[in-house]
Amino acid sequence: MTNLRILIERLRGMFFKGKMERDLEDEIRAHLEMQTEENERQGMSPQEARRAALRQFGGVEQVKESYREQRGLPLVELTLRDLRYAGRVLLKNPGFTTVVVLTLSLGIGINTAIFSVVNGVLFRPLAYQDPEGIVTLWQRNTQTGSEREPVSPANFLDYRNRNRVFEQVSALRPYGLDYTGGGEPETFHAWLVTAGFFDILGAKALHGRTFLPEEYEAGRGQVVVLGHGLWQRRFGADPGIVGQKLILDGKPHVVVGIMPPEFHYLNKRGIIAPFVLNEEESKRRGATYLNVLARLKPEITLAQAQSEMDGVAMQLAQEYPQTNREMGAAVVPLSEQMLGSVRPALLILLGAVAFILLIACANVANLMLARTSVRRREFAVRAALGASRSRLVRQLLTESLALALLGCAGGIVLAVWSVGAILSISPASLPRVEQIGIDGRMLLFALGLSILTAIVFGLAPALKFSSPNLGEAVKEGVGCRGAGVIRQRLRSFLVVAEFALALILLIGAGLLIRSFARLLQVDPGFRADNALTLQVHVYDQYPSPPQQAAFFEQSLERITSLPGVEAAGAASAPPFIGEGSIEIESDFTIEGKEAPAPDQAPTAYHTVVTSGYFSALGIKLVEGRFFDKFDHAGGAPVALINETMARRYFAGENPVGKKIVVRRLTKPVAREIVGVVGDVRHLGLDSDPRPEIFLHHQQVPFGSMTFIVRTRDDPQGSMSAVKNEVWAVNRNLPFYSAATMNQLVSESLKEKRFSLFLLGSFAVIALILAGVGIYGVVSFTTSQRTHEIGIRVALGAQSRDILKMVIGEALLFSLMGVAAGLAGAFILTRLLKSLLFGITPTDPLTFAVIPSLLVFVALVASYLPARRATKVDPTTALRFE
Amino acid sequence: MSPLKKEVLPGTLNLMVLKTLASLGPLHGYGIARRIEQTSGNLLQLNQGTIYPALLHLEQSGWIKSAWGVTENNRRAKYYSITRRGRKRLAAEEENWRRTSEIMVRFLKQSEGNT
Repeated sequence: MTNLRILIERLRGMFFKGKMERDLEDEIRAHLEMQTEENERQGMSPQEARRAALRQFGGVEQVKESYREQRGLPLVELTLRDLRYAGRVLLKNPGFTTVVVLTLSLGIGINTAIFSVVNGVLFRPLAYQDPEGIVTLWQRNTQTGSEREPVSPANFLDYRNRNRVFEQVSALRPYGLDYTGGGEPETFHAWLVTAGFFDILGAKALHGRTFLPEEYEAGRGQVVVLGHGLWQRRFGADPGIVGQKLILDGKPHVVVGIMPPEFHYLNKRGIIAPFVLNEEESKRRGATYLNVLARLKPEITLAQAQSEMDGVAMQLAQEYPQTNREMGAAVVPLSEQMLGSVRPALLILLGAVAFILLIACANVANLMLARTSVRRREFAVRAALGASRSRLVRQLLTESLALALLGCAGGIVLAVWSVGAILSISPASLPRVEQIGIDGRMLLFALGLSILTAIVFGLAPALKFSSPNLGEAVKEGVGCRGAGVIRQRLRSFLVVAEFALALILLIGAGLLIRSFARLLQVDPGFRADNALTLQVHVYDQYPSPPQQAAFFEQSLERITSLPGVEAAGAASAPPFIGEGSIEIESDFTIEGKEAPAPDQAPTAYHTVVTSGYFSALGIKLVEGRFFDKFDHAGGAPVALINETMARRYFAGENPVGKKIVVRRLTKPVAREIVGVVGDVRHLGLDSDPRPEIFLHHQQVPFGSMTFIVRTRDDPQGSMSAVKNEVWAVNRNLPFYSAATMNQLVSESLKEKRFSLFLLGSFAVIALILAGVGIYGVVSFTTSQRTHEIGIRVALGAQSRDILKMVIGEALLFSLMGVAAGLAGAFILTRLLKSLLFGITPTDPLTFAVIPSLLVFVALVASYLPARRATKVDPTTALRFE
Repeated sequence: MSPLKKEVLPGTLNLMVLKTLASLGPLHGYGIARRIEQTSGNLLQLNQGTIYPALLHLEQSGWIKSAWGVTENNRRAKYYSITRRGRKRLAAEEENWRRTSEIMVRFLKQSEGNT
């Protein structure tokens, strides 16, 4: 209590210093006067009385000083004084201060930002109960080498019923629920889930509840759970929606709950409904479209689960050789499934920013060293005048801390800004970005490292003054340079290290830029500009195949007649439309060729298209003809194939006129190949074309199609007109997705662009820092060598010689750095392999251009101080100091 | 100065100031210093100035308070007076000292008895 009171009073004392000082003055004066009077009364002379009074009082100044110590907070006041002095010193060297503070801000800010992102995405545990026990199950196709294929319904049931390692197994089916009755019709991207889904995750609803066991039974499942995002976007975040009915697929469904935002299954799909597998669907073994989730029993390891599932898959392969001969089963932890694909890129970015932090620290160390060398004389003089070593250390410490704190403040601002910026450019495939915040631990770490750097290198000279030969130090300021050799070496080493690190970063960024450029040059096989894509699923509205075909013909006729539309068509699975479109890979046989064994039957992707599809997408004809108006339901069965298919299965012969039989989708009738069309990179610019068969939608109607509309001008402008034409045919039809083809292509590149942009920015920062570093060192050494240069000039050295000397030194540093960096890059760029396209990790062009760039920067950075050196006037230089 | 004069024991100055103010009422720094010198029968070697940091400490602790006033000779001076908290503190300190000295006296007596 009393201590607190004293503290408060002392604080007051700090602020009312002036008044209290005057009061004390008055008090002491009165005291001395009274004592003097008393002494005079006792018979002393006035002078004698005054002297005696002073003697009795004791030392006036000592009393004042100890009074002051009692009055305020001496430690704080001293620190404030040091800070004020530090501020003055730092302001006197604005260039130095700015560079150090900015360097620290960059190092701290970027590291904190990237670590926050990486931590939020990769390291933070999943927001589910005991997340280590949650796994996903996949079919492994040993024939195609595909490691994680979705699971077919019949296989899912067998996985669930035959294993002894999982507590629960649940299947998720991606689905679309058509929402009508609230403005524009919309398809909600949905998950249908079987019983156990919420239990496996241990997930609870934010409002309301999840499904009851009986709601997974047939006929009872008219309930849905909303995701947080959809709830906010479409229902105004109103908790009152729980208990209300929504019209979905034409039937009322009760909203029973709303999931919290961290429930990642509902980030991209908005709604969950119970999944009831009917008799027919339960028997499907060849069609693989289910995601399967399971929870390990306690004490069961991943390896045990995998070997159990290997056994189950083996049984199924024997029992159902037709579909399962080549099917293994894979057990993949949920975290690996969610994060495995983004991990390499994120870890590389994390490594890159660690490089930046190192470069920043090296830079600060360098600048501090250079400057404290300049101030050695000042400190030597102060020490000689009686400043204690601890006083000097305190002063330097305060300066270093002030710099580090300023840098930290800048770093925090930068970190907050860059986390926002990073998230705004983050690709959709980057999971869990919703809850990323600044990571305090990383901030502390980066701050600690910078303070440490600032202090260690800022303090080094102060420690020297413990040595008794102050005289040496004072003299050293006056042109005697011998003792500075070690510091000089340390600085050179730091610059070389900076260059090496910067080179590695730049080469990494260079490789990404090169692959990205390669990727952009790739011909996708179609024209992405001025094309709209609109996906619809019409099974509910038009149950019969002829109705479906009629709907698409009718809609396309209306769309084609729109002004501004050049061509329009539709396909079941156009390129770049992964989500929602139905990819069918199946075997086929070629008539007149010997039928291969069932497991060696060739496979191809089957796409159902309208006649206008190829011209709408700009796919070229290689051979034969496109579909035309005579290829209708009553016409002869026809098919088109692509170049890859022609090359692979009709090597050396003309496929046009040959007949093939496809078994999926349709009756196995022989279809004449009427043409060969150009290859398309279906899954992305970096994907290889695959064998494809195209069937005409009038002969093989299909209810899930994507319209492709080629427009004359900006396609976005025609979007609503196109939608209206479709709605003119059917008012209640929602679009599952609608985007321009360019948006889809750009979205497919977003992940690559993301890593490219970040690594590129880091490399540029590293380059700048390295440039600043070499500039700092060269200008410092030249200023130290003014005397020497003066002598050289006096002895007849030309300015060319001086330039050569100074730049030559910088060149040596940078070449050493480049050599070390090249060695490092050869080893480290291998890690980039998964991010590259079309070039090797040791791409010769990159490895040649980047080092030259770095050497060029070194030349420029050293040219400025070198030119200053040539301007040295020998007489001034010799008088200097 | 007589060699017998004692330095002020640490901590005792506070007690002396409090006791002085408790028995004499409001007093200025000079008055307190004089009083302490007189009471100690000039056995104490006191640098009068040292009472000022002590007064500040007592005031910060809330045991005394101060106000500017005028002396009988019409001189402006700061008068210190003891607070209620100060009296409590004084009582506790007095008790403490009595016990300490009692113990010391007893201890010394017993030691004499043994020799």
